[in-house]
Amino acid sequence: MIIQLGSGDLSYDPGFQADEAEASFFVNKNLTGFTILCKQLLQVIFCDACGKTMFSDVSAQKNGPSLLCSPASEEQGPTFERISLPYELYSDRYRVGQRSFSRQYAHIYAARLMQMRPLLAERAQQKWGSNVLIKKLCDLEPGEQCCIVGTLFKRMELQPSILKEISEEHNLLPQPARAKYISEADELILEDELQRIKLEGKFDKDKCVTGSVVAIYGAEKNDGKFTVEDFCMADLPLQTPRPALSSDRFVLLASGLGLGGHNADSMLGLQLLVDMVTGQLGDTGEQSGAAAISRVLLAGNLLSQNTQDKDASTKAKYLTKKTQAGSVEAIRVLDELLLQLVASVPVDVMPGQYDPTNYTLPQQPLHPCMFPLSSAYNTLQLVSNPFEASIDGVRFLGTSGQNVCDIQRYSSMDSHLEILEETLQLRHLAPTAPDTLGCYPFYQKDPFILEECPHVYFSGNAPTFESKLIKGPDGQEVLLVTIPEFSSTQTACLVNLRTLQCEPICFTAFSADKDEENEMNISH
Amino acid sequence: MVTYKSLSLTLGVHVNTAKQMLYHYLEHKRKESSPQLHATYLVTGKFVDNGQTCHRVSIVREDQLEDFKSKMSLIVSVHVYSVQKALLKDSGPLYSVDYDAVKDHLQNCSKYSAIQCPGAVPVSSLERQQALNAPNPPQSEPGNSGTNRETNTTSKAHPRPQKGIMGMFSKKSAVKSQNTSEEVKPEQKDEPAVVDSAKNKPAAKANPMMNFFGSQTAKKSVKAVKEEADQTSERKSPQPCEKSDGAAVQHQKDPRSKTKRAEDEDSEEDKMDKKKRRRIKKPEPDSSDEEVVPDSPPPQEALTRERSPKKETETVQPSNSHSGVKVRKRRRVLKSRTYLDADGCMVTEKGFESESYSESEEDFRAPKAAQREPFKAKANPGSKEDDKKSQKKAPASSNKGGKQASIMGFFQKK
Repeated sequence: MIIQLGSGDLSYDPGFQADEAEASFFVNKNLTGFTILCKQLLQVIFCDACGKTMFSDVSAQKNGPSLLCSPASEEQGPTFERISLPYELYSDRYRVGQRSFSRQYAHIYAARLMQMRPLLAERAQQKWGSNVLIKKLCDLEPGEQCCIVGTLFKRMELQPSILKEISEEHNLLPQPARAKYISEADELILEDELQRIKLEGKFDKDKCVTGSVVAIYGAEKNDGKFTVEDFCMADLPLQTPRPALSSDRFVLLASGLGLGGHNADSMLGLQLLVDMVTGQLGDTGEQSGAAAISRVLLAGNLLSQNTQDKDASTKAKYLTKKTQAGSVEAIRVLDELLLQLVASVPVDVMPGQYDPTNYTLPQQPLHPCMFPLSSAYNTLQLVSNPFEASIDGVRFLGTSGQNVCDIQRYSSMDSHLEILEETLQLRHLAPTAPDTLGCYPFYQKDPFILEECPHVYFSGNAPTFESKLIKGPDGQEVLLVTIPEFSSTQTACLVNLRTLQCEPICFTAFSADKDEENEMNISH
Repeated sequence: MVTYKSLSLTLGVHVNTAKQMLYHYLEHKRKESSPQLHATYLVTGKFVDNGQTCHRVSIVREDQLEDFKSKMSLIVSVHVYSVQKALLKDSGPLYSVDYDAVKDHLQNCSKYSAIQCPGAVPVSSLERQQALNAPNPPQSEPGNSGTNRETNTTSKAHPRPQKGIMGMFSKKSAVKSQNTSEEVKPEQKDEPAVVDSAKNKPAAKANPMMNFFGSQTAKKSVKAVKEEADQTSERKSPQPCEKSDGAAVQHQKDPRSKTKRAEDEDSEEDKMDKKKRRRIKKPEPDSSDEEVVPDSPPPQEALTRERSPKKETETVQPSNSHSGVKVRKRRRVLKSRTYLDADGCMVTEKGFESESYSESEEDFRAPKAAQREPFKAKANPGSKEDDKKSQKKAPASSNKGGKQASIMGFFQKK
């Protein structure tokens, strides 16, 4: 944006503190009536990276005359053009073409270990010295300090096992679903290609999950167990540095829209979200800020859990033939909603746990035949879960939250953000697949291993919004975002691509009681 | 109740102008101190909550407006959201008003917004079809082949009435293997009756057909059916009408995926029920034998040919047996037909096909034809009774008119 300054000299030298100066400039006749505070003006021109440029600030800067006035006769109203950014989809590895389920699942573990062993060996050498002995389990000798690399297996008593359920000698009733399946008596075992060995020692076994590939330093004792002194994970992969952007661009992340559910309150919030993004809501400032939202990403659970017919799988077909599935109406509502969005902004739609696509990870994109109205627009992108893409050079990677929820069930970690960080350090999106998380039986390679470090790493359908910027050992910078569930929190997230910051947006309305209204003020 | 969005969509103005209009209206009415008007406002801005800042977008009532504004740390925009007569306790109705307004103007919902996206261009449905055609050839084929067949049969319809009987013989070779050839007899006297039935048939058929066609193809098929009905009924030749009807509809049915078969069977069963009702009713008012014999042409697997061809056979056969003249006629015979359908699968169907025969062979064939009737799985009890009756009748009649040499012939020659 070019602003011709009027008379006035603005001196800028490195020591200039923007906060201290306040001046008003009368800009030339093209932008009459604009009075801008000096600090904000400098931020815009010189791209002060130190300042936090939240969406509110951006919108406030570009504010025009208030709309609390009578309509001017001639002018139509300003129209801003939606910012368009280069976009590249990298989700090919998550597309499963021909599916064959005749293979065993053990091949995934073999592929995983094979791929991660060299990475872990390198990390082990970095951590414990380059002359550390890295041995295979079959070559272990008791009493020798060495490092072993393998896949962790956590044996949990409470883990639901189908074999136990149907076994007659145990006479067990099916176990009720629990929030957590960990207990004190869990054991950790390390497996490599040929053997396995029990682990003991100082490490937090509750934090570990089955399927993570780690390197362990210690010694084998005489009783056949391995004493752990230290362990390390594969840590973050290398990252291509993101380009320096000149202006603020945003990407809106939302998940858990929950259409077809019984929560009618969220529909108004959803409508407000759509209106804001399409530029109908707010003053000119807000609208021009919304024009900087280059993309919308819907991370799963577009349909509510209520649309899942519990009877569909158990009832006989002849009884359910005439009844329409609950998801049909919900998909129609979703199509209309998407139509409003795609007419104005490119949208990426990821499927989630309750959406009509396959259950196992990686979930394939929703079929365009379900969206007859909105698939007419080429701005609608139906993508897989997990999702990886590069928006204006900033790499996004994330899932709809199933992997995080699964780890939450089988470990002591509760915070979705903490789990996200853990998966990043393990360099694996879903270590619990295929053990407790449904997964396709890959055999050649494991597509969930992170090969390149993303700039934004997210997971959807979290209970609350959380975000954190972490730094990796090789200078990587990753923004972790847990996208909250919109149907319960009415909150979405805006990621600023220039500063790699994330800001929540919440939408509220009023309802009958004043107390209820206060409750809707979401506390993060 | 009016929201800025419904106002902008209805009047076709920019959303900001709509907001200003609402404000102006509100001010105006308030100055006039006319009946109480209430308004809701939209406030957006920065809100600090427990140390975390978030961008907040809220709809607030007028009385809560100032209170709200004071809580926000930075206000970005305030404008009128809606104007209504009654004080709103709940914001639910606001959503329904907007929803209705958007639904009415679904295609240009973003036309009056403040942001235009140059990339959001709807791809025309034709281009989409072409894109879809590549991976889904079987889907497009029925459409194409259906239209092909329609044009073929309609072109054949013209020469047929002119050629008369000879036209029928040549038609069989001309017809494609996939076409189900129906019994066609140049009975002029049957025309009026059949024209009516033909007219009724497409109309009646449109409804069950609508059940198992998708939205686009339904229009195509119904249009095709109706067009042909219109065209052919004008030409007063019922045979092409039901034939092309049958062919087109039959054909669009065949390559349908198996999931549609369930619906096919449903509608078939419906038709069976209708026919069953019809057939049961028939013997009751007319208990004459002649009515029983016409019922013997059994229920057929293909829906389309049932009604009028049956009527034809019913009316024709009695006339045949009465005439006594040895005429080479066409007659319906149960035959198996094997063909390749659109998916490349071989399908074998037992169907009635016209076959020419002469009077003398009729007596032998009649019992066989009657025996074959129970094969039809959807035969209903009514028809079974009729079949049995006709079976009994047929052998009885054959014995009477048979050529079996009597033993007395040996003695008579002396």
